[in-house]
Amino acid sequence: MNIKSSILLRVRVAFLLVVLFAGAVVYRIFYLQRIQGDKWNKMAEQISLRYLPVKATRGNIYSDNGSLLATSLPFFKVAFDPSQPSDELLKKNLDSLTYLLSRTFKDNSAKEYRRRILEARKDKRQYLLLSRAEINYQQKKKIMEWPVFREGRNKGGIIFEKVEKRYHPFSTLGYRTIGSVDETEKGTVGLEYSFNNQLGGIDGKALFQKMAGSWRPVFDGTEVKAKDGLDIETTIDVNLQDVAESALLAALSDHNADYGSVVLMEVKTGEIKAMSNLSKNPEGNYWERYNYAVGSQGAVEPGSTFKLASMMALLEETDLKLTDTVQTGNGEYKFYNQVMKDHKPGGYGTITVKQMFESSSNIGIAKLVVEHFGKKPSEFIDFVKEMGVGQPLGFQMAGEGKPYIKSPSDSSWSGISLPWISHGYELKLTPLQTLTMFNAVANDGKMITPIIVRSVRKADKVVEEFEPRVINKRICSKETLANLRELLEGVVERGTASNINGTHYKIAGKTGTAKKYVNGKYVNQYYASFAGYFPADAPKYSCIVVIDNPKNYRIYGSDVAAPVFKEIADKIYSQDIDVHKEYRPAVAYQTEVFPVVRAGFLPELSMICNEFGVSNHEMADDEEWVKTRLVGKSIGWTANKVKEGLVPDVAGMTLRDALFVLENAGLKVRIEGDGRVESQSRMAGTRVSEGSEIKIKLG
Amino acid sequence: MIKEWIENNLKGDPIIWAIVLALSVLSILVVYSATGTLAYAKMGGDTEYYLMKHSVLTILSLVAIWGAHKIDYRYYSKLSKLALWVSVPLLMITYLFGNTMNEASRWLTIPVINQAFQPSDLAKLALFVTIASILSKRQQSEEELKESLIPILLWCGVICGLIAMSNFSTAVLIFATCMLLMFIGRVPVKYLAMLVMIGALSGAVALTLGQRGQTVISRVQSFLSDDESALPFQAQQSYIAVASGGIVGKGPGQSDQRNFLPHPYSDFIYAIIIEEYGMIGGVTVILLYLALLYRGMIVFMQSERAYGGLLSAALSFALVMQAFINMGVAVGLGPITGLPLPLVSMGGTSQLFMGISIGIILSVSRGELDEFPSDVKGNGKRKVAAMA
Repeated sequence: MNIKSSILLRVRVAFLLVVLFAGAVVYRIFYLQRIQGDKWNKMAEQISLRYLPVKATRGNIYSDNGSLLATSLPFFKVAFDPSQPSDELLKKNLDSLTYLLSRTFKDNSAKEYRRRILEARKDKRQYLLLSRAEINYQQKKKIMEWPVFREGRNKGGIIFEKVEKRYHPFSTLGYRTIGSVDETEKGTVGLEYSFNNQLGGIDGKALFQKMAGSWRPVFDGTEVKAKDGLDIETTIDVNLQDVAESALLAALSDHNADYGSVVLMEVKTGEIKAMSNLSKNPEGNYWERYNYAVGSQGAVEPGSTFKLASMMALLEETDLKLTDTVQTGNGEYKFYNQVMKDHKPGGYGTITVKQMFESSSNIGIAKLVVEHFGKKPSEFIDFVKEMGVGQPLGFQMAGEGKPYIKSPSDSSWSGISLPWISHGYELKLTPLQTLTMFNAVANDGKMITPIIVRSVRKADKVVEEFEPRVINKRICSKETLANLRELLEGVVERGTASNINGTHYKIAGKTGTAKKYVNGKYVNQYYASFAGYFPADAPKYSCIVVIDNPKNYRIYGSDVAAPVFKEIADKIYSQDIDVHKEYRPAVAYQTEVFPVVRAGFLPELSMICNEFGVSNHEMADDEEWVKTRLVGKSIGWTANKVKEGLVPDVAGMTLRDALFVLENAGLKVRIEGDGRVESQSRMAGTRVSEGSEIKIKLG
Repeated sequence: MIKEWIENNLKGDPIIWAIVLALSVLSILVVYSATGTLAYAKMGGDTEYYLMKHSVLTILSLVAIWGAHKIDYRYYSKLSKLALWVSVPLLMITYLFGNTMNEASRWLTIPVINQAFQPSDLAKLALFVTIASILSKRQQSEEELKESLIPILLWCGVICGLIAMSNFSTAVLIFATCMLLMFIGRVPVKYLAMLVMIGALSGAVALTLGQRGQTVISRVQSFLSDDESALPFQAQQSYIAVASGGIVGKGPGQSDQRNFLPHPYSDFIYAIIIEEYGMIGGVTVILLYLALLYRGMIVFMQSERAYGGLLSAALSFALVMQAFINMGVAVGLGPITGLPLPLVSMGGTSQLFMGISIGIILSVSRGELDEFPSDVKGNGKRKVAAMA
């Protein structure tokens, strides 16, 4: 037992040590509570800690070929800690500082700035927002050179607060379709709103401590990291959007209309290539205010474009032939107590069904529909609904206008409902819903929903992909379809839209001119539209043009809307080589080829190279922007210095980098093509005059 | 009836059982209070999520105690060797591919149940049991003791070295505990001094090669520094918690500092205990651990075999030392470490390993009682005795 007692002794020694340590812990508690207690309790009151959100970077919106439509760039707000600078420093420089502030921000006089700074200093405030203006990186660099501020954050008291701002490389192009965000970067309208969940990401959260007037993060390991937003790839074609928008704008100004919409859709894929909505503001200018093509305010009585559906019902459900005749009389016909009129004074007399459709005779279609469906109107309504018109499309953008087609079971159904529905009244459709019907005719009878977002991506990885939903595989028989297409072509060849005939490719479509229903009655205001597709032989695009309340004497769909359609179709036909060809080769993605590194932002480029194991080294001292040079088997970074006031050299950069550099240099950027920058319209190193424009070509 | 059930099922030292139950109840109370912020940050405000998770783990660790105390402690000698061999590749895999948290990879995720698991917990337990076993076999002469040094040193070096790469404070604790074990196991002090030197050297190597060098240096520097402003945020918040607790504390669930103190449910749970239960609560917890250690010593004294005695001493010292280091950090007696408070902190699988530790101590305590009449002979008889 000698061994055991020896061990026991040692255990007791160890136990004693632990007891001693326990005593020390108790003493420390006593010390912290009794002796230092006041100090810690006071500190607890003074330190302000708060959990603040850490903004997630919002995702980008891309066009169909990867051009940036919306992205977030950093901007800065300028604030000041007036308690920081010494008396001497402030006294010597306050005049020149306030002069610079006033001259740069133009929101206050130098005197006012002086008063605010001194007052805040007297009140021992540690934070003063100097201006609400959001400045870019280049301006920030300039301000850092100012007197007082150049002493830095601690001695000079300058505080820059970073704010991410939404930037649209194509300016107002497709503004309402792309949408916008509020000051917290939350989508308010358009795609920014509809895809806010995907774009927004998830803000993180971290503990911040208030120090000298600003919140500094406490890196305590508990922060929840922000999850950056995803990108969305739209189907918008920037060039086509531009064509559509300018054609619409010209027509609206010409006719002094209230608003107008254009939607261009690719027939086979259902992809929206352009969507423009322009409304007149009180000053008489047009801007993108509301998406009439999609939204509920755009759901109105479509007028004669709906005759396509009526014709389809007649051809499909009855044995009516295009060569049959119909008596339209003298242009006035009474259904019960309501008089229906045709546009042509004196009427069209007895005409064939084909002529009736081409000349858009209201009386003709109404008489035919009443003749065949008058006893069983629900059959007509059911046909239209089963065909696929009258149900919401479930479009990807929020706030789709609900379509409405009156049915015999409705309390407001009357004897005149059927004849009026037959030519596009007593029902409501948005331009997009009408277009979907025309697209189905162009698409060999297959009705699909339009889509505007192709995929949600995280960098190059597709997170979610969208495909058009098939609403109706076959809206009608082959014969009916052939007849309908003949009719739609006839409208342009001989009918109401013959004013846009004469192109060397064929357009097919239907005009519409609906009287507007305002405050419970029909007034002499019109809703002019043209919906159709082209080239008629092998339809590639379908399109609808809507112009609301045109004034200057011309009011008809043929005069007002059809020319816009033609202008867009002409431009696309001349630009888009694909229209001539039946098939488009699949886009080959060369993912295995490593992109050539030519120029860009050093920290990012070297990180990429390091990740891929490409040997690289710096040949420039401390330069952020670099170009590359091959040195043996490795890449050497040479300086590509961005000098103030001079045009930077962006050749070889990605669009994102080039935009950042050029915008910061105060240049307005116009973009052509995609890929990396191939050439720039202003030579690098020349002087920049404020607000001048530069064109860059990507390739 | 309950009493009968306890007597039939909970064998071994009843006081150890009582202490463990007391700490478990405290644990659930404090962890529930301290995980509020975490619940808002990670679980969308579902505060019951962590309560449920922790309660389940606490119950599971009680089950682990129960299971471990049913097994004859002599089996642990063999089991621990196996566990030690398994833990080496596990530690390596963890270092290279494990889940990262705070820039240190310490966790492996067990595939099917999707539970994070720290291989260092397994390695730690296996190492202590192995050392107790090696030492107990070589008590007859100093020559034998010297022989025992090599395997101990080897295992201790490998395990501590691997753990030090990603978790320096745990490695130091394990190394210190090994030293203490050897001291208790009558290894001469001159050898121990030599070992400490080797340990310090390899510690430095691990710091240079591993992931934690910067953290350790800055934490130790800020601890040694006199500059008040250099006081780390965690320490500052912890002191505020301790100071604001007073004698009786703010009351259960009334902590303010839990919102700001990082890991208030594990590394700094002692500060929250003092804040909510005051000096009285803090001292009570200390007394509970001291009592636990004392009962471990009683088990040691009552055990007939050197192995059982050393095993119980090793495990109780390891547990209590970790407890005091955790408490020491909270009140500012040492640099900041990431060690949980055993039996109290919320800590996933480490709670289960702590349970097994306690279970082994209890197994030693009951093993002797059962064995007393028939001593030396094989296991068969013992089982019959246990059933009777």
